[in-house]
Amino acid sequence: MSIFRKIYAWHLTLLVLLLTACQPTPPTATSDKVSFMVFGDPAELKAYQTLVKVFITQHPEIEIELIHIPGQSDYRQRLAADFAAGTPADVVLINYRRLAGFAIKHALEPLGPYLDQSAALNATDFYTPALDAFYWQGQHVCIPQNISSLVVYYNQDLFEAAGMAYPQTGWTWDDFLATAQALTKDTDGDGATDQYGLGVEPEFIRVAPFIWQNGGDLATPLGLTLGTPEALAAVQWFVNWQVTHHIVPGRAEEESESSESRFQNGRTAMYLNSRRIVPTLREAATFEWDVAPLPQNVARATLLHADAYCLAAVSKAKDAAWTFIEFANSADGQTLIAKTGRTVPSLKAVAESPAFLDPTVKPAHSQVFLDEIPYIFRLPLVPGWVDIEEITSAELQRAFYGDAPVAEAMVSAVTRAAPYFTEND
Amino acid sequence: MIKRVRALPYRTELGLMLVPYLLGVAGLIGLPALLSVGMAFVFYDALSPPTWAGLANFREILTDPTDPLFKIALANSLYFVALAVPLRTLGALGLALWLNRQRRGVGLYRAAVYLPTVIPDVAYALIWLWIFNPLYGPVNLTLNALNLPTPGWLADGDTAKLVFVIMALFQIGEGFVVLLAGLQNIPPEYYASAAVDGANRWQILRHLTLPLLAPWLLLLTVRDVILSFQTTFTANFIMTGGGPYYATLFLPMEIYNEAFDAFRFGPGAAMMLLMFALTAALIGVMFSFLNDWREADEH
Repeated sequence: MSIFRKIYAWHLTLLVLLLTACQPTPPTATSDKVSFMVFGDPAELKAYQTLVKVFITQHPEIEIELIHIPGQSDYRQRLAADFAAGTPADVVLINYRRLAGFAIKHALEPLGPYLDQSAALNATDFYTPALDAFYWQGQHVCIPQNISSLVVYYNQDLFEAAGMAYPQTGWTWDDFLATAQALTKDTDGDGATDQYGLGVEPEFIRVAPFIWQNGGDLATPLGLTLGTPEALAAVQWFVNWQVTHHIVPGRAEEESESSESRFQNGRTAMYLNSRRIVPTLREAATFEWDVAPLPQNVARATLLHADAYCLAAVSKAKDAAWTFIEFANSADGQTLIAKTGRTVPSLKAVAESPAFLDPTVKPAHSQVFLDEIPYIFRLPLVPGWVDIEEITSAELQRAFYGDAPVAEAMVSAVTRAAPYFTEND
Repeated sequence: MIKRVRALPYRTELGLMLVPYLLGVAGLIGLPALLSVGMAFVFYDALSPPTWAGLANFREILTDPTDPLFKIALANSLYFVALAVPLRTLGALGLALWLNRQRRGVGLYRAAVYLPTVIPDVAYALIWLWIFNPLYGPVNLTLNALNLPTPGWLADGDTAKLVFVIMALFQIGEGFVVLLAGLQNIPPEYYASAAVDGANRWQILRHLTLPLLAPWLLLLTVRDVILSFQTTFTANFIMTGGGPYYATLFLPMEIYNEAFDAFRFGPGAAMMLLMFALTAALIGVMFSFLNDWREADEH
């Protein structure tokens, strides 16, 4: 690097630092004050407020500042912006799909050493897939709060009206398709579908389990492997739901009203999602509903959805922050959050307790989430994964709405995503 | 005894009054803009210090075959500017000509033209999202009632960009007011002379009104070119996020995605610089056309 370039880079660094210095003082100025940033609906906020309240009664020497961002998308942007400004909250919730991007820049304090020395938490108390999802370069970086997975939500009223049996564990791709076809109806005879058998967002994270179920895989360390016959056949099967069978809304229908909204309004029989929508359904759905596992093909598989409590590397209150994370991930802490319905607890003891499995609270068969754990697959931990996911989803949507053949769309996804596998190496 | 303070010169007083604004502009616009120029030549992800990149960011966005998004966004923005700027200028001109003369209720009509301009961007985007809803929106319900084809609008890559142009056509209040002021600055004696000479309405428009309005039209067009490159962001972000399949990915959205979503500030800043250069070039072309036109007119 020439002297000129060095001087240039240093000047720019100084300018950036100058601007950063103009930011408000981080909320971590005192050693006993811990800021804690979360996302979630009002019910979740209430649970986090209770969590903080109970923690403070046990640890009056630590002050917790709860920062709540309602939407997940806004939360992700706020999180990235806070880290960029050098002022993240001490404790933050991070999804494992975004972990590598922060971990590779050493923005997070590895929590493995804290966990090893903890008297309250033990690694064996957690479900392994959840813990492993936050394992980066030989260390547990964050401690998982939940272990959700992709399942089938179904409207029991619509199944009963059609005289159909509820989905059962072990159902096959053929069963799934036949059920969705039988429940797709033009109820007023005007030629337009009024009730869809299935609702799904055409995204990479939705098609992924079906690729695994068909014996395929998503990626190697060098790039996506969506061009294999197994992967292509699975994506084709997924795309055919729209292009051939019309059991899911078309693009104009989805643009007019999302699949999630259609399901909430009782006009879609089955809907694929993680545990995320349970609080909304409990509050808004006016019909009987429950959950079932995904269908299976040559293999049984579903996708891990997990968030974890992470500690910012720049935190000035690391010990106090760990004390809070320890409490939030204790049986008491996870029980409080599990009662919102939003999470599948990552602690086995809480997940297997009435706090999560209570059959009087919907969904009656929350056990489905636990039964799926042995069949959980996770997405690769790659720093550029968010970009890879966005590119692949865009290409998948092209095929899903009939604008391109599956093979062409997947080749394009593989090509466009390739640079992100070597980025940051 | 009251000490008399010597009054500062008038221009100095004015200058002092401007100081807070100049400081604000320098600190909030000038400095970040300079920083952005610098960022175009470094790799910077906000989590680690910047490193020198030279022209690599420009090479990446212009020539990398695996990342066509800048070129797509550039083409989309040019499409938008090419359609929206002339249509908005013509719309503002037509309405200004129509509503120039004092008559009953003209104030109400003028207010109606200006009204969509003051609607906050987010509300404006949400209104159009409903208007062009493919199943439940009033546009398609009307077309359906008339047994006409119902496009997918924002759900269809072919029509989605057009929606943004249509939306832009209703926010022409400022241009309308500027041209109305321009029209009212033309001395009525000119029209009286033209009438004495027997000029018809078209001849008056072509040889009198338009040449006299030319500086105003130029100002408006230059302003609109600059604005049209930049103002798609809010609607873009709320209504489509750039889809379907990048059909509505305009430059501001792509720059935002690159810089503030993916945290690749280098390529984001490089895109911003190119957009700036393109805007300047377009304005340069317009001035050059205007000069040619003036020279031709003088001969």
